[in-house]
Amino acid sequence: MTTIDFRGKAEAMRDELVARRRDFHMHPELAFEEVRTAGIVAQELSALGLEVQAGVGKTGVVGMLEGDKDGPTVLVRADMDALPILEENQTSYASQTPGKMHACGHDGHTAIALGVAKLLSQHRDKIAGRIKFVFQPAEEIVGGAKAMIADGVLADPRPDVTLGLHLWNSLPLGMLGVGDGPVMAGSSVFTLKITGKGGHAASPHQGVDPVVCAAQIITAFQTIVSRNNDPLDGLVISVTWMHTGTAFNIIPQDVELRGTMRFFKLEVRALLERRMQEIAEGIASAMGCTAEIQIEHNVLPVVNNPEVTGRVRDLFRGYVGDAGLNTAERTMGAEDVGLFMDDIPGTYFFLGAAVPNREAYYGHHHPKFDFDENALPLGVALLSAAVADYVLPD
Amino acid sequence: MTIINFKSRAEAMRDELVARRRDFHMHPELGFEEFRSSGIIAEELRNLGLQVQTGVGQTGVVALLEGGQVGPTILVRADMDALPLTEANQVEYASQTPGKMHACGHDGHMTIGLGVAKLLSEQRDKIAGRIKFVFQPAEEGLGGALAMISAGVLDNPRPDVVLGLHLWSELPIGTIGIADGAIMSGSSIFRLIVNGKGGHAAMPYTTIDPVACAGQLITALHTIVGRKMDAMAGAVVLSVTGVRTSSEAFNAIPQQVEIRGTFRTFNAYTSEMLEQHIRAVSESVCASVGCTVDIMIKHLTIPVVNDPEVTDHVRGVFSRFVDVNCLDDSFRTMASEDIAYMLDEVPGTFFFVGAGNKARGFEYGHHHPRFDFDEDALPLGVALMSALVADYVLLD
Repeated sequence: MTTIDFRGKAEAMRDELVARRRDFHMHPELAFEEVRTAGIVAQELSALGLEVQAGVGKTGVVGMLEGDKDGPTVLVRADMDALPILEENQTSYASQTPGKMHACGHDGHTAIALGVAKLLSQHRDKIAGRIKFVFQPAEEIVGGAKAMIADGVLADPRPDVTLGLHLWNSLPLGMLGVGDGPVMAGSSVFTLKITGKGGHAASPHQGVDPVVCAAQIITAFQTIVSRNNDPLDGLVISVTWMHTGTAFNIIPQDVELRGTMRFFKLEVRALLERRMQEIAEGIASAMGCTAEIQIEHNVLPVVNNPEVTGRVRDLFRGYVGDAGLNTAERTMGAEDVGLFMDDIPGTYFFLGAAVPNREAYYGHHHPKFDFDENALPLGVALLSAAVADYVLPD
Repeated sequence: MTIINFKSRAEAMRDELVARRRDFHMHPELGFEEFRSSGIIAEELRNLGLQVQTGVGQTGVVALLEGGQVGPTILVRADMDALPLTEANQVEYASQTPGKMHACGHDGHMTIGLGVAKLLSEQRDKIAGRIKFVFQPAEEGLGGALAMISAGVLDNPRPDVVLGLHLWSELPIGTIGIADGAIMSGSSIFRLIVNGKGGHAAMPYTTIDPVACAGQLITALHTIVGRKMDAMAGAVVLSVTGVRTSSEAFNAIPQQVEIRGTFRTFNAYTSEMLEQHIRAVSESVCASVGCTVDIMIKHLTIPVVNDPEVTDHVRGVFSRFVDVNCLDDSFRTMASEDIAYMLDEVPGTFFFVGAGNKARGFEYGHHHPRFDFDEDALPLGVALMSALVADYVLLD
């Protein structure tokens, strides 16, 4: 085990980490559009002397830090994309692009991974093995991990371990979530088109109203959670999008609904598929409409390998003590890092980042989401230490 | 009573009426933008020797036909505006402006109004009283009638009777709809903003989901008609016609959902009750799941109410022109018309001239991109309206 003081070194980088994160925060870019962000990442990694490959999975960047000695390959993964949300925070570093916002902490993830690359590149001579820094695009629309894997990110060299973290507002600063097994949910999305017969809003009896039908389907979907699913198996269904209508006096021809489902087991996913179809088609038929549902499976559950996770947990205990380790933290949030970890054993941990003394708690994806920047140096220290545990032997 | 043969005189004008209607049809103009239409109308009325006032209620036109002798003042109203639709008909007289279309028959109403003015101006010396021709802009929900009333169209001189007609494709050609009382509904629009608390779609417990709430609210709004309204208090319609969530992402629960719609009733009491129920249901459904709701309700028109005395009189006149079996004295519709505001101040009647003809392909409803009507209704409309006005002001 190494004697490097990761905490002290990361703390010394604090101003740089905060400035970097705020710069990313002010310039959010949506999935597969992370051109500015990826450019900064590639430039910084090149400046550190890493071998850089850009355009991996469209806008992804891979930086290879080769140690002087041979040893295992560790993949460190960070995601770069923002969300189509209008920021409501009034901070000096708020988004400068209306309708786009880093509301999930990816600005922090990118800043932390660059910090880890900088910190570890200073110890290149002692590294036995190599570190593959993977800056992934398009995590939010799910597709970035798949695109990078298609471009060969898991080959030449094939990693032995995958490590990653997520800044996490469900935990206070200083708490870490490091659980075994499934820690993040699998995610599927659906698009449902309900077709009726449009007409004049004054003569509903001459048409078939798809809006009433849609309302009943939205309500009935929640009975899958309360009536069909085993209460011990987690399941979430959210209808997040509903658009219809042209003029106030015209009953529309159709309604489109979209949403997402989260689960930890593939059996639950199969149940979802069957019941959503039955409910949509059954209610539509009862109301004289037709329903067409398309379900797309985006992400597998994120499953932490017990061996890797146990090793990382032991290491982190030295940083946060037993009181700072939460082994039960799981979330219905989905992450396509699950696709990397389905192939390569690894661990993905939650770094508590809730802002203290805020009047209200704002969750991920909220227009007022923000996190405690003290988590940035802590994240750099923890992730550097975890990687070093594999490749810095002394 | 006059002995003029209005039917044959109107029939003699057929080619002119059809040409005029087709010209208006090819050049549709939206509410308060009827510059070309009102220009043609003003010029035609001046040529007939009427006193013409333009710019009444923005693009409206008023023309006075003064008779040689004293008598009552009759207001004849026609509307001029088209709709924001792209015409799907392939006829040679189809709209030449994409996105604008005469899909409600107002092109025919203007034509008939001008035809009546021409026919009656030839009888000026025998007229005891005066006829006020009112060509109204912006009937389609934009407030043209109120604009003209504000500009004084019901004063100097104040009319004794208001008359108007609507070409109606739901009724076959030859049938006339003329009923007493409330014949067209009042129309209101509502906009409900359901405010929740946005957040990650995977963690609904950290949010207040306005979409699930909107599902329950739309369902609950539709129970008002069946459960809260007196089935004997007149027809009631409530339609939710637009829904929009405030964000675009699959995985973010939005902050808000906007629900828009319309409701229609035949009397003010029912409308008021319905409004109260919409407010109460919206507030309580939203409160039950922790959402708040902003409620905006706007009343667009009041019901069209036909004066029983005038209407009965009109039916008598019409029975001389059409088979009494073709007079439908019960026809009512949930559609709305802002002539209601004129009829609220001055007794009168608004009747429907059947203009549908399935055999000839005129089978699409009003406001449909393939709406069209049987042009046989043009001379018939001129004859009926002329005879009606003459019955009030023409000496035999």
